[in-house]
Amino acid sequence: MALVEVQRLSVTYGGASAPALRDVSLSIGEGETVALLGLSGAGKSTLLRALAGLVPHFHGGVFEGRVSIDGLDTRRARPADLVGTTAIVFQDPEDQIVMTRVLREVAFGLENLGVPSHELQGRAEEALEAVGALELRDRRVMELSGGELQRVCLASALALQPKLLLLDEPTSQLDEAGATMFLDAVERAGCAVVLSEQRVRRALAACERAMVLDDGALGFEGTQQAANSWLLTEPEGLGAGPIDGPLDAAGDEAVVELRNVSFGYGERSVVDGLDLTVRSGEIVVLQGPNGCGKTTIAKLAAGLLEPAGGQVERRGRAGYLSQDPGRYLVRDRVVDEVAIGVGGKTDAALAALETVGLSWAADRHPRDLSSGERERLGIAAVTVGDPTLLVLDEPTRGVDPARKREIELLVRQHAARGGAVIVATHDRDFVAHRRVAVPALEVAHA
Amino acid sequence: MIAPGAAGLLLAGAAAAALLTERVWVSATLSLVLLAFVLGAPAARRWPYIAAAFISSLGVFVLSPFLSVQGTSIIWSGPTVPVLGVIDVTSEELVEAALNATRLSAVALAFAVYALRLDHDAMLAAAGRVRRSAFLAALAIRLVPSLERDAVGLAEAVRGRGLELRGIRARGQLVSPLVAGSLERALNLAESMEARGFGRAGRTCMPSPSWRARDWAVALLALALPVVVALWL
Repeated sequence: MALVEVQRLSVTYGGASAPALRDVSLSIGEGETVALLGLSGAGKSTLLRALAGLVPHFHGGVFEGRVSIDGLDTRRARPADLVGTTAIVFQDPEDQIVMTRVLREVAFGLENLGVPSHELQGRAEEALEAVGALELRDRRVMELSGGELQRVCLASALALQPKLLLLDEPTSQLDEAGATMFLDAVERAGCAVVLSEQRVRRALAACERAMVLDDGALGFEGTQQAANSWLLTEPEGLGAGPIDGPLDAAGDEAVVELRNVSFGYGERSVVDGLDLTVRSGEIVVLQGPNGCGKTTIAKLAAGLLEPAGGQVERRGRAGYLSQDPGRYLVRDRVVDEVAIGVGGKTDAALAALETVGLSWAADRHPRDLSSGERERLGIAAVTVGDPTLLVLDEPTRGVDPARKREIELLVRQHAARGGAVIVATHDRDFVAHRRVAVPALEVAHA
Repeated sequence: MIAPGAAGLLLAGAAAAALLTERVWVSATLSLVLLAFVLGAPAARRWPYIAAAFISSLGVFVLSPFLSVQGTSIIWSGPTVPVLGVIDVTSEELVEAALNATRLSAVALAFAVYALRLDHDAMLAAAGRVRRSAFLAALAIRLVPSLERDAVGLAEAVRGRGLELRGIRARGQLVSPLVAGSLERALNLAESMEARGFGRAGRTCMPSPSWRARDWAVALLALALPVVVALWL
């Protein structure tokens, strides 16, 4: 018998006009690793939540069909009953941390499961060791970096020794080294894995099989090899790659100049003696590991932080897109969220929404959008005012390949109009005239 | 180090003593001692608690003499206001206001020490039958730094779109999205807890170290403090 059996599953959330999942049937065997792919809003998160029993028990809505996990029917078994059989890691580690110390956090699920008290510490430490995070055991979770937090979340899931591990875009906040370390730990776990990812090649490399959701329905299912071939037939969708063709040459006029700039948080120095000039028409990508100071440099360039030493000179207005912009929404309608950047002009806001493929959502509440859609909403809200300097912090996080291509096109167009662009990103393929490596906690020169 | 459970009892005892005392110097002394413990926390985390304690206490001290009617030693006499009557301030009202203000600051600072200096996980383990309530309190306390971070993020997001936030009214407009964001966080956390079996029967708990003689002494002091204050101070 397969570990996971899904039969004709359809899910419609309360108040939604269309189903999030439509007639999905699939099965997954013990120890099998499956990449779950699809464009933003295709239903990947809903399917993962259905496999964890959170749909329908936590989210409600109309649930049709049947989901069976290791013989347990999720309509009757609550998520708490499935714990130990399944474990799930969500996209944002900050929203799933319950306790204040790492060891207690990893032991939280084990305590709920009723594991004898004398075994708790050993099992929690074993799980931390499996993800290479044993040295974090006594740390406060508030003091950890995003990458460290995500490894703690994985340890919390692995400690349950699940038969089925569900991962919802778990590497979206991690740098390349962090993502590799995370996926290696997943591979070593030996259980069945369903990995939802927007970095398609990374997901396929880590899994034996792939399933692709298209507007809530299962659009493709096959081996890793077949999936790679299938991607070639989807150049405008999941198989979309970087835009071909050279970039226009950058101009000579400096839009922003950082001269011998220093900055720190408390006693911790993050930037020391940085020199960076970005010219009109130029796209500069800041790259480096988690916590190296890319965001700080981006904020200094945009004028959101004042340098502790040195000078920042800017020509024209700067627009800054923060990391995780979907968390920082201020209006009740998508179109109003964008319009506040142009004094409430709805026409300009609608045009900006069109460029990021969100005109259909103009009247929706921003918080009803998926994380990838919110990311694009943030881009529209910043670019609508046509700033001279555009500063984007991790703009492709949680964004599918097709939309990533659109963001790159938007950045190219901004540069072609004479604007300057700074992009802080883990994405090594992002279009750029120049890449600046930001070393961790060291003096940065560029 | 004192066991977190014993430290929690001592804080509760100090707060109870501050509420029971009738002498300003007792509640003021308790406030100063508790403030010293708060100042031992990292500067970035302690300021919202200190600001909240100071502002609320100052509010009580400034407003309550105008609203209460007590004593005969009039220091200042003001106009007659409909409903409230003659607005005046007596020395007795000032003493009462100082007492209530220092009581409030002691309670607020005891909470600050609890939030900033104690290991909540260990306290949860020691909470026994009231574990669920202690758990909710610990989660609520964790909300404070999250809210602070979200407020900074929201202000940056708005400034990043070219808008400057000037004045209380402009900043006040961020309160509603801040609350919406924290509700969304709470929902995500609840989902995560459900997915990890919270509420399931037969829960176990990671063992905590046993109390030593010093911890029992602190617990005894915690019980004695309000009794001594109520009877003699």
